[in-house]
Amino acid sequence: MAFEKILTRYEDIPNYTGTIDEYIAHGGYHALGKALRQFQPPDLIEAVKRSGLRGRGGAGFPCGLKWGFIPSDSPKPKYLVCNCDESEPGTFKDRMLIEEEPHQLIEGIVISSYAIGCHLAFIYCRGEFVHGARVLERALADARARGYLGKDILGSGFDLDIYVHRGAGAYICGEETGLLESLEGRRGQPRMKPPFPAVSGLYRAPTVVNNVETLCNIPHIVLRGPEWYASIGPSRSTGPRLFSVSGHVERPGNYELPMSVTLRDLIFEHARGIRNGRRLKAVIPGGSSAPVLTEQHLDLTMDFESLAAAGSMGGSGGVIVMDDTVCMVRVGGIVSRFYHHESCGQCTQCREGTAWLHKTLHRIERGQGRKEDLDLLLDICDNMKGKTICVLSDAAAMPIESYLKYFREEFEAHIRERACPFEGKGTF
Amino acid sequence: MIPEETKRRFDELTKRYPEKRSALIPILHEVQAKVGHLSPQAIEWVAGYLGLSAADVMSVASFYDMFNLEPVGKHMIYVCQNLSCSLLGAGRLIQHLESRLGIRMGETTPDGLITLKRMECLASCGTAPAIQIDGIYYERMTPQGLDELLDKLRDGRLRQSKT
Amino acid sequence: MPTLRIDGVEITVAANTSILAAAKSVGIEIPHYCYHPGLSVVGQCRMCQVEVEKMPKLAIACNTPVADGMVVATRSLKVQKARRAVLEFYLLNHPLDCPICDRGGECPLQDYTLKYGPGESRSVEEKVQRAKHQIFGPHIIFDAERCILCTRCGRFCREIPKVGELGVFSRGDRSEINLFPGKVLDNAYSGNVIDLCPVGALTSRPYRFQSRPWDLVRHTESICPLCSNGCNIILDVRHRQRGEELLRIRPRENQAVNRWWMCDEGRFSFMYLHDPARLCVPMWRQGDGPVKMAYDDVLLRLARAIRRIIETAGPRAIGCIASSRLTNQELFLLRRFFCDFLSTPHLDYRVRPLQFEESDTSEDSLLRRTDKTANSRGARDLAILPGRGGLDVAGMLKAAADGSLKALFVFEEDLVRDVPDHPVREALGRLDLFVASSMYATETTALAHLILPALGFAEREGSFTNFQGRIQKIHRALTPHLASRGLPEVLRDLAKDMGRDLGEIDPERVWAAIGEMPGPYQGIAWKDIGPLGLSPEGQLGN
Repeated sequence: MAFEKILTRYEDIPNYTGTIDEYIAHGGYHALGKALRQFQPPDLIEAVKRSGLRGRGGAGFPCGLKWGFIPSDSPKPKYLVCNCDESEPGTFKDRMLIEEEPHQLIEGIVISSYAIGCHLAFIYCRGEFVHGARVLERALADARARGYLGKDILGSGFDLDIYVHRGAGAYICGEETGLLESLEGRRGQPRMKPPFPAVSGLYRAPTVVNNVETLCNIPHIVLRGPEWYASIGPSRSTGPRLFSVSGHVERPGNYELPMSVTLRDLIFEHARGIRNGRRLKAVIPGGSSAPVLTEQHLDLTMDFESLAAAGSMGGSGGVIVMDDTVCMVRVGGIVSRFYHHESCGQCTQCREGTAWLHKTLHRIERGQGRKEDLDLLLDICDNMKGKTICVLSDAAAMPIESYLKYFREEFEAHIRERACPFEGKGTF
Repeated sequence: MIPEETKRRFDELTKRYPEKRSALIPILHEVQAKVGHLSPQAIEWVAGYLGLSAADVMSVASFYDMFNLEPVGKHMIYVCQNLSCSLLGAGRLIQHLESRLGIRMGETTPDGLITLKRMECLASCGTAPAIQIDGIYYERMTPQGLDELLDKLRDGRLRQSKT
Repeated sequence: MPTLRIDGVEITVAANTSILAAAKSVGIEIPHYCYHPGLSVVGQCRMCQVEVEKMPKLAIACNTPVADGMVVATRSLKVQKARRAVLEFYLLNHPLDCPICDRGGECPLQDYTLKYGPGESRSVEEKVQRAKHQIFGPHIIFDAERCILCTRCGRFCREIPKVGELGVFSRGDRSEINLFPGKVLDNAYSGNVIDLCPVGALTSRPYRFQSRPWDLVRHTESICPLCSNGCNIILDVRHRQRGEELLRIRPRENQAVNRWWMCDEGRFSFMYLHDPARLCVPMWRQGDGPVKMAYDDVLLRLARAIRRIIETAGPRAIGCIASSRLTNQELFLLRRFFCDFLSTPHLDYRVRPLQFEESDTSEDSLLRRTDKTANSRGARDLAILPGRGGLDVAGMLKAAADGSLKALFVFEEDLVRDVPDHPVREALGRLDLFVASSMYATETTALAHLILPALGFAEREGSFTNFQGRIQKIHRALTPHLASRGLPEVLRDLAKDMGRDLGEIDPERVWAAIGEMPGPYQGIAWKDIGPLGLSPEGQLGN
């Protein structure tokens, strides 16, 4: 059952390299023309609301609703910032989108800027995407040269400029207010909310921050209509989604599918199942911040609601598959090390808690765990959740809770045996 | 320390932003590329250029993984140590690099050629394990692949990215 | 104005008041570290979390404005657990330095841990180690391991003196406050970080290891004497075997004068009070050099000398240069003695150009002012100025030089140093009687026939009036040297020796006398002047 590709339809075009000429030849920038000619900004916002598009960066917040928070009567300039800081472990779809089809994103940004009244937009691109940033710069220059950017775009009277702004290596800059702080030339430390970016964002002016993939959906919504878009997938998680599948599957990669796809089909049909004939042990469905799932969850559909109901989340769509050679305690060590490294350090619980979790898990992994460590870990997690400026603290805590929930006996074995049962024979 | 034409480029760059301070991180990237690493003098130059205190600029620079405040080798090799890459052999890559180069991750070879650095997810999970050398990604890496790259690096035959 | 309930107490406060401030106003303490009313709000420490009805998560009290009908609980079980957890997180890497840490005994981390924290550590992990006792500047020393990253110090330096010397470097639990390599924390207000730091990370170098808070026997409220701003301060005194010692000075909050701050000069320049070179005993010059003499003998001799000059040259041959370092009471008594008793019109305090009206200005747009004495305004308000036909400072010096002025009394002014464009030495050298009071031997006292030891500000009771016209009290923190007498006593005893009664000399009674005079202080009672002083508006009210 082949799904009609929308965001990645270029994959089926032989020799496609994403230049502006190719993009236009295949219908590119038509949506922009239609948006500027046929829509007033409030109508565009309505259309996006009706489409049901939800943010694809990790939070899944309804896009049209976010745009609607921009106060149209504010005397301050409005900004649109594209979040291309893709750093959620297991996620690699935005990188593909900017490297292979940059104009889709640019078109999305121009339409979105028109919708919210923004005349200066930024693409915050993580610093490691050296190639991607270069591709974007070239594409922006081409778009400017053809009149899709700059003054009086397509004779509409609408002005917009877009600049690429590179980050420098910090996961927390993917958090929208951490991103804004970084864009302003500061440490990427998230801001207290409220006020939210729609009211006080970049340079304290009304700002929308949208993920790359989210913005790539916009031209399609305009071109083919919000009702068409809303008909794709479950009614509360509409539209195509790019799932980044990695780990122990035969065919890792990005898969564009509706969110009605089941976890089973995603892993066993699209990604061709577990490699080397092994068994599925665990799967993280939405980037490392998402609580882990197991075989019992394979029939879940990959929409936001279903995954949340099962105690996990849709998150960034990064699906990490682990087979039965994997030591889950080691997984805990790797994941906790990540959050320990990435905590910005502002809030006490996160700064100290991410380190404490990591050190404890590392100690258990090394065979020096104590019986009381498991309940200690759970209490540390509880003390880290829901009490900080941003949710990195929660993102660090919830996965650990889930590993203990589903694989507690593995942790107990490490403590009891004072060694890792997978030592010398596991995947690590 | 910074040539006039680079400074002029910074002047242009700064004009993009409603607030000058926004140019800080892009400028730090370029200064680091020019000077080799963000030495105290480099940081003071940037601070002077943007009208910020040196402590302020150092506070920002030290927050980010890509900025090196200590001298580094001519070539930076980033190795992703996050989950998907670890599931697919990043640990073996790290062992191989350390044994072949005789240094630990985070260190620089005595001849000043290579610095090894552990990084977190590089968004290359589908083509894991991934490394990045001087801005260029090398994916589906193996120990043999590493050997070929290191040989090319030594011979100066490895393609370099600009920044 | 919203009305809300905090722990069952109903209060009404101005809109936009934070829950923290609202609670404080009814005496409910919500523990906090990073919040400070004088600095930007960052919401980082997470100590001030409280439970607000209808909010699913705990809210931080420092950054949550009150709302009408809000119901806040600051001691619920949820809040207790959260607070205990925050303290536990802090203590994970906090070194067990209490026995050697200056903060011990007056430490918010100790205090909150005792009140709200865990009783034991659950961590078996190695503590993060960092550099200890790093000299940050002339006054500040930093112990990095103790730092809880509240960032008050960095925010202070950036927002108040606006010098960004301190930064947070690195990220996460590697974060550390530090200076840029090679730089020094030496802005004029650096000492305030000592008060701001909730732990013993930033401490005072001169005060290091000097005392424990419970050994400080006295915390006396006073006013800094080093410029006309009159910052409100506390003098902390320790009793030692060798005698009392003023060990440190801290600012007192007074929003109208110095907010929460004081400058480093005022904070750290007080060791002179204990300088063994201080003058303690009167000295009369005989033959080659000054000879120490007992007060009673000195004052008898002085009375005789004054009488002789009045008989031979008249009262207008006597002049008095008062000082803006003197209290209002001392100035008043001086005027009574010289103008009322001796009938000389030659009286003035304006030694430096800055002391003429409107010349005293702000030195740094913060607290420091160019007039480096505390009471020029008081001297002006009390009309310590030449009477009809009287000479000002320049005039008195000229008259001394030409021989028409025979006797000059100079109180706590070093004329040789501070009146550089006058031939002061020659002038003073011609006098038949030159009496100088001073804390130290100076080039001026070297010329005096009689040197009277002066007391330091910490040894006196009285009041100063700052440049704004605010009358502020100073209180005695140190007992003066046994052999010394304060100026009021000296004047009273000198008057007695001349057959006059100066009246009551205790500060409150002298003030009562001031209050009876026409002038800016008429009608003000001593009790009207509270711990934060009495503003001109307040004075008008009388």
